[in-house]
Amino acid sequence: MSLALLEPPTNANPQTALTLSQKAPTFYKSQASWSLPYPLSLFVNNESQEKWQAYENIFLACLRTGDNQSAYLYLEELTDRFGKENERVTALRGLYAEATANTAKELEYVMKHYEEILVEAPSVFAIRKRRVALLRSLGRTAEAIGALTNLVDTSPTDAEAWSELADLYLSQGSYDQAIFSLEEVLLVMPNAWNIHAKLGEVIYLSANAKEAGPEQLKALSESMRRFCRSIELCDDYLRGYYGLQLTTSRLLGALQTTKKSQQVASDPVAGDLAPPSIDAVKKLNEVATAKLAEIVRKGTAGEKGWDGYSASELIAARELLDRGTQQIQR
Amino acid sequence: MGLSANVLNILGLVFLSHASYEHSLLPSAAQAPPQSSILPSVIDPNINLPIDVVLETIVSVLLLCAGVVLSSPDLKPIQWNVWAGRLERSKDARQIKGFGQGGGNPYAALEERPGFLDIRAKRKEFAAWVKDGGQGDKVQ
Repeated sequence: MSLALLEPPTNANPQTALTLSQKAPTFYKSQASWSLPYPLSLFVNNESQEKWQAYENIFLACLRTGDNQSAYLYLEELTDRFGKENERVTALRGLYAEATANTAKELEYVMKHYEEILVEAPSVFAIRKRRVALLRSLGRTAEAIGALTNLVDTSPTDAEAWSELADLYLSQGSYDQAIFSLEEVLLVMPNAWNIHAKLGEVIYLSANAKEAGPEQLKALSESMRRFCRSIELCDDYLRGYYGLQLTTSRLLGALQTTKKSQQVASDPVAGDLAPPSIDAVKKLNEVATAKLAEIVRKGTAGEKGWDGYSASELIAARELLDRGTQQIQR
Repeated sequence: MGLSANVLNILGLVFLSHASYEHSLLPSAAQAPPQSSILPSVIDPNINLPIDVVLETIVSVLLLCAGVVLSSPDLKPIQWNVWAGRLERSKDARQIKGFGQGGGNPYAALEERPGFLDIRAKRKEFAAWVKDGGQGDKVQ
């Protein structure tokens, strides 16, 4: 079996999804299996974890590309194997119903179906998540946030749900709540370097929304520290260095304009740290610029072992660097 | 590196087998050696070997040691940041090697959130991509 089928398809680019879904009919035929009558069937093993993972991936890819027939075939196979009661299968069936619903009324029906399941078995988290996703997709964001806070109340260690909640709050511009949710994610998974970077980004956004002054300075330095942590957890992390470069450049300006007396004094009781010194920020900025330049150079050239960066991120990093040099030239 | 390590291994094996072959040919090996004057009788090895066989054995074992160490595969990173950096940097490190083995950043799911997949938006996005002629390689 090709290992490409095990690649999680949810966030792949359309081209990958298309090739995956085009494999659907041939793969289905190749998996068609014969089975012996009951006692003998115990001696034959014609299934593996890979097989069902591949089935689910192809199912999702087919749904995405609009190939409903193939998707239905795979869904039926999964249902036959794991039963209708299986949580994961229930969620997949719901996903199929959502994708194939044409009218608002049909979507309403899917929603009602979810709610019926939840009345009987409120602990089916897969369905609770689907319900939130459907609410969000229908634009009922407030309801989605309500359902999701309820969900994380029941299961506070569900990092995925906290992360979705952060994203929902962010889409509403509620930065403080989004920051809180992301911090909850980090409590569950403290080593997730991408979430550290994401938190840095959200804090940076919130700093942008604030007026220039001590509050903004505090947010900027907090954001800078988050990016530093993400780099500490992951060498040559493009996103982390990008954020570090951005925040340190802003901080340099802010530190120079804000007077010493205006800066909020550090409060060790509340765990606040004093804003960093100008020298430290300058050094960090130099490090970030040098590292970004190195990553862009090696990544664009596609050197051995440096070919994994996404092309759009590399372009963005180059633009950031160019902006920096223009300012110096002026 | 691979070739020289293999040469070392082969040389070591040849010398080692040669040394033991020579040893088996020696008539003196069958006779018990005289008692050692320095070592207590418990740890006296009781062997009777000419110096060249001993030297050959030692050299061949050293060669084998060096060869085995040099021909072993590269060590895997045991530091979190080095391991994570490799995943970000290179495509090879992200390759899926089997069910639950390999793959990229294990925390990427926190940002993709497959449990909250908005399939209708994804379908629309895909339809738009096809309408555009399927050219723009939109990453993420």
